[in-house]
Amino acid sequence: MRSRFVTFLAVLLLTLAACGGAVPGPSSPAVTASPFPATLIDFQNRSVTVPVRPERVVSIGPSITAFLFALGAGPRVVGVDDFSDEPAEAATREHVGGIKVNFEKVVALKPDLVLSVKFSDGTIEKLQSASLNVLVVDPQTVSDVAKTATLLGKAVGADGEAMGRSIQQRVDAVKAKAATATTRPRVYHEIDASDPAKIFTVGPGSYINDLIEIAGGTNVAARAPSAYPQLSAEEILRSDPEIIVLAADAYASKPADVVSRQGWSIIAAVKNNRIFTIDPNLINRPGPRVGEAAETYAKLVHPELFR
Amino acid sequence: MRTAAVIAFLVAALVVSAAAGILVGAVAIGPGDVLAALFGSNDVNGTIIRELRLPRVLGAALVGGSLATAGALLQGLLRNPLADPFVTGTSAGATLAAVAAIVMGLAAPFVPLASFAGALVTVTLVWRLARVGGGTTVLTVLLAGVVLTSFAGAVVTFLLVSSDRLALQLRAVLGWLQGGVSVISWAELGVAAAIVAAGLGFALVLAHRVDAYAFGEDTAATLGVDPDRTTTAVLGATALLSGAAVALAGLVGFVGLVVPHALRFVIGATHRRLVPASFLAGAAALVLADLGARTIIAPAELPVGAITGLIGAPFFLALLVRSRRIVL
Repeated sequence: MRSRFVTFLAVLLLTLAACGGAVPGPSSPAVTASPFPATLIDFQNRSVTVPVRPERVVSIGPSITAFLFALGAGPRVVGVDDFSDEPAEAATREHVGGIKVNFEKVVALKPDLVLSVKFSDGTIEKLQSASLNVLVVDPQTVSDVAKTATLLGKAVGADGEAMGRSIQQRVDAVKAKAATATTRPRVYHEIDASDPAKIFTVGPGSYINDLIEIAGGTNVAARAPSAYPQLSAEEILRSDPEIIVLAADAYASKPADVVSRQGWSIIAAVKNNRIFTIDPNLINRPGPRVGEAAETYAKLVHPELFR
Repeated sequence: MRTAAVIAFLVAALVVSAAAGILVGAVAIGPGDVLAALFGSNDVNGTIIRELRLPRVLGAALVGGSLATAGALLQGLLRNPLADPFVTGTSAGATLAAVAAIVMGLAAPFVPLASFAGALVTVTLVWRLARVGGGTTVLTVLLAGVVLTSFAGAVVTFLLVSSDRLALQLRAVLGWLQGGVSVISWAELGVAAAIVAAGLGFALVLAHRVDAYAFGEDTAATLGVDPDRTTTAVLGATALLSGAAVALAGLVGFVGLVVPHALRFVIGATHRRLVPASFLAGAAALVLADLGARTIIAPAELPVGAITGLIGAPFFLALLVRSRRIVL
């Protein structure tokens, strides 16, 4: 049970990152004369030097992959993790594993730069000991997204700053508009209810908690002790959410399931039929689509403002 | 007189544990509000108490009562103090059938029926295996139980791994295998209560015949008890009770072993008294175990099977040592 939970969290963390598709900012980013060698500080406060413009990049993390393609560096991406499916073209690259990275495959691809999310199992160190140049990029919150665009732009020689600014503007616009609302509806965002006694939701420090706040809602688990806390049905009933958001996902609960849960008919969101589903890739991955994610969430929370 | 006193005590114990089970939960609700909620206040407390806590407590009571009654019947039928639905593999057979029903996508009301069928097949097999070569011994029953439990476990693993795990909501199934009464709906409770009522009714009617069994099948026959029909009926009642318990709460171990055994010290081995007493004591015990499961590591929850296993397994070992001295 415990190890299954750890795996679940690992999948969640890996998918927590990314995107693709319609991206704000330059559609064909100008590759400026970014000076190489470039010395960069990564998400683990390591100083990493990229000596020349990288031509063979391996990306481990779906949000990193999405950024690289959005920055126009897609043609130079030779390998991606198993979860990188945005944009669709990314999935055609060589796969180098998911929760467990396949080191032999990474080395065989002869990358001149490896971009990876954080790992707690020594993966980064092992990649480095194979003489690979590794930059750790691990956006977790909405405010990390612009910083990620800038960092990745410098690493691959593209204008990430412009993209970061444009993303931030789009997010700020949603935030400003939502702030004019007279209410801040209580939102319950369900991650996983396969144990109906203890349902996973989002707490402070999670990306989705940020999105709920930007969208002008109040997360019912905003004061939970962790980023992905478990709530009992009793606590959810007591918090009386006005809006319930589910993942539009094959294995997630459907709105009809939520309505039929014993006792839930008393919840405002159930009474008023305000149970929505949302594309999990869009809102789980802190990537270049964060503006779109914030707009989509805001439409659910404040339909009177966002149409 | 003494029996009446014991039964009265057990009824009181069940009421007190149920009250504790309803008073304590994830959300703090004062005793006054709990009382108001039970008698129909229409606020959120009322819903929490009536729709979430009450069915859970009643479910735990049904599961504990059924397992203890089934244990008393099996111990009498097999003339073996170490028998119960869990150690004989009956619960595992019921679990296998229920998981198979879920994997095949059968509707929810069929799950208790499937687990009843699984329990019936397994308990009959144990009975047959235990009688190979004449009389039943403690060890043959236990070994038959071990074999059937491992086999059922292997098939369950196969079914889970080979089916669409995400659609099955594997975490829920795994939680169920560990034994838990976390969320029980009134609909499930209704079906299970009907099955348990049938099983308990059978058990009460059959109790005096099980007593005749204590002297061996030949003696039972001379007392006017038809051994084959009695055996079939007792196995059927056991299967009804264990099937309902498994359908509600999955694999909860040792309740059926410990409860009737402890009661024998108090009210003797007569099944006419043992069957009703086991139901009441088993119900109270599992309500308390579930209360422990909810509170010991709160806000997280333990599967109730972990609690019954912690208490029951050492008890089982002690019994095994004693019975080896006596029987083998």
